[in-house]
Amino acid sequence: MRKRLPEFQSIIQVYAVIAMMFAGWTITAFLWKLSAWLLLLNLGEIFIIFSYAMVASFLESMIILLLLLIVCILLPARVLRDEFVVRGTILSVGLIGSLMVFVGSQMQFGIERGLLLLIAPFLVLILTAFLLQRASKLHRIRSVAVSFSDRAVVFLFVLVPLFAIASMYVILRNVS
Amino acid sequence: MPTLNRREFLKASAALMAGATFAGASRFLSSPDFQGTKKPNILMFVFDAMSARHLSLYGYDRETTPNLKKFAERASVYHNHYSGGNFTTTGTASMLTGLNAWTHRALNYRGMVDRNLTDRNLFRLIGNEYTRLAFTQNLWADILLNQFESDIDIHLPCDSYSHFIHSSIQPDDLPSDRRMAYYAFQDFINLRVDDPNAFPGSLLMSSSDLARALVPNRNHISDDYPRGLPTNYDYSYENTSVLDGVGGLVKHSLVQSEPYLAYFHLWSPHDPYNARNDFVGMFEQDLPLQAKARHPFSGGNHSENALRQFRREYDEFIADLDAEFGRLISDLERSGVLQNSYVIVTSDHGEMFERGELGHATALMYAPVTHIPLLISAPGQVSRSDFHSATSNMDLLPTILEIAGKEIPKWVEGRLLPGFGGTEDPTRSIFPMMGKDNAAFQPIKHATFVLIKKAYELIFYTGYPGHDDQFELYHLAQDPQELQNLFSKDITTASHMKDELLEAIHAANRNFEKR
Repeated sequence: MRKRLPEFQSIIQVYAVIAMMFAGWTITAFLWKLSAWLLLLNLGEIFIIFSYAMVASFLESMIILLLLLIVCILLPARVLRDEFVVRGTILSVGLIGSLMVFVGSQMQFGIERGLLLLIAPFLVLILTAFLLQRASKLHRIRSVAVSFSDRAVVFLFVLVPLFAIASMYVILRNVS
Repeated sequence: MPTLNRREFLKASAALMAGATFAGASRFLSSPDFQGTKKPNILMFVFDAMSARHLSLYGYDRETTPNLKKFAERASVYHNHYSGGNFTTTGTASMLTGLNAWTHRALNYRGMVDRNLTDRNLFRLIGNEYTRLAFTQNLWADILLNQFESDIDIHLPCDSYSHFIHSSIQPDDLPSDRRMAYYAFQDFINLRVDDPNAFPGSLLMSSSDLARALVPNRNHISDDYPRGLPTNYDYSYENTSVLDGVGGLVKHSLVQSEPYLAYFHLWSPHDPYNARNDFVGMFEQDLPLQAKARHPFSGGNHSENALRQFRREYDEFIADLDAEFGRLISDLERSGVLQNSYVIVTSDHGEMFERGELGHATALMYAPVTHIPLLISAPGQVSRSDFHSATSNMDLLPTILEIAGKEIPKWVEGRLLPGFGGTEDPTRSIFPMMGKDNAAFQPIKHATFVLIKKAYELIFYTGYPGHDDQFELYHLAQDPQELQNLFSKDITTASHMKDELLEAIHAANRNFEKR
């Protein structure tokens, strides 16, 4: 089983991309809502909301990482494991990007558009598939993915403690 | 399996009987009945967004409330009852704390009562000698109930008796932290698909909510509801199921925990006005209403025709609810549970279909959004009493305490209602207000204030960007449609009321800053 998983350093790099994207979305939404909350909530209460949101981000980022690792385990190594940083990064950005576009379309156009809201995320997924297919041939795509994931690791120094503190706080609030 | 012989069986039966007799006797001996102080039960029904101006009970031209009218035949009916605010948070907080909005500070959308005042609530004051049950379908009212959680014995989840839940995680999923779970999930993490300004904090959960919303779900659709099931935008429900559930709770559970205070705050007839099939189209004929021009402070720009149509649908929804309420009351009466129960029917705020505005949480504080129904039926009451002087929904707290034989604290700003120890006071001043854009932690400088006194209503708009402060004065008895602004015509009244209102606001802000 251990052999079917990518190297730990590669997993960290890909997780950094995933965590950065989820947390980035959550923090942006948080800042967008902050002015409204300042009217009615005190700073302690706002911190509680932030903690819950960070825990949600953490769990969601773990779900995506686990999904990628399950793919590594189930499919032949050349599909994902051998080039985990490149393909994992492209897949993560594509999957999370499609979710961003999906929710973003609803925010932009409203639920009344119905199934038309699926068009943009579908296009993002096609683009992702195309990049994945070209990744082994185009050096440019590989180097962008590697350098992006490499640089994303720095955010883990902030995000991991944040996730840990938020998780502890949420657990304590719900256990006591 | 162990077996009992005849002797053992008789011994066991005797022990059981003795135990049961003792338990029954001790319960009786310790009961208020035995001690000669039988406490009455109190049942409160709060129908969200039910404007008194739309009830035939109060003379509305459409026959929207035949059952409430019937109920009123053995109740005290308050004709000029006003909410402390024009949306759930403010109105409900005034009712449950007995305080003016500028004191309790639950001013904003989904706001809370001042954290230093949370012990000032009806459930705490009535005491644990009462079984205190609270249920609301309104999530904003539930925020307040969550603040009072330690004083409530049974707090039902908001989605009780509901059919279809729109979001994957609900505040009730985190029972130890319900108060903040509302803000974390409903207000942030979850996607509220109907919210035009949504920016959900979670990508995966909101995508799941959005995907669920895009898939047609049969539970959400019913032939009985051509406009869709009634919904609070988080749960869908049927009035029949909700009122049956409430009735069952009273008849089968609460009756074993007397005396009780049961607070039922139901979503209907709040929008969307999704009446059942039997009521759709029952008010096709238009009312002879005078068109009112769009108000400069109106947040909407609905046409007269659209407003007439919404009004019609709202009236149908009220008629639907009224029928269900009539059925519930008959059922409770038949079962005998009302023999020692006060039944209170009221609302948290009204609803408005005029001046371009639709709904209630608006800068416009005209009577349709502040004037709410109040009926109180006492045990054994056989005739109707009518009270016409102005009363406030802050008055419910002291009145309920009086009914329960409890002391009324000095800090309560409401008064005893006439008929329950209070007297009709035609000179009383009542101050509904709306300050949703004013920080709860700051003095109030951006708001609409109202002063109701005698038959007059003074409205004061202050702090609205791009607008000067503005006053309007109406004589509600002579001009119930609020068409003739008397502010520059009846100078004496306008001047007195203006001075009184400004002094009250300054005093409230001074007290707040001192606190």
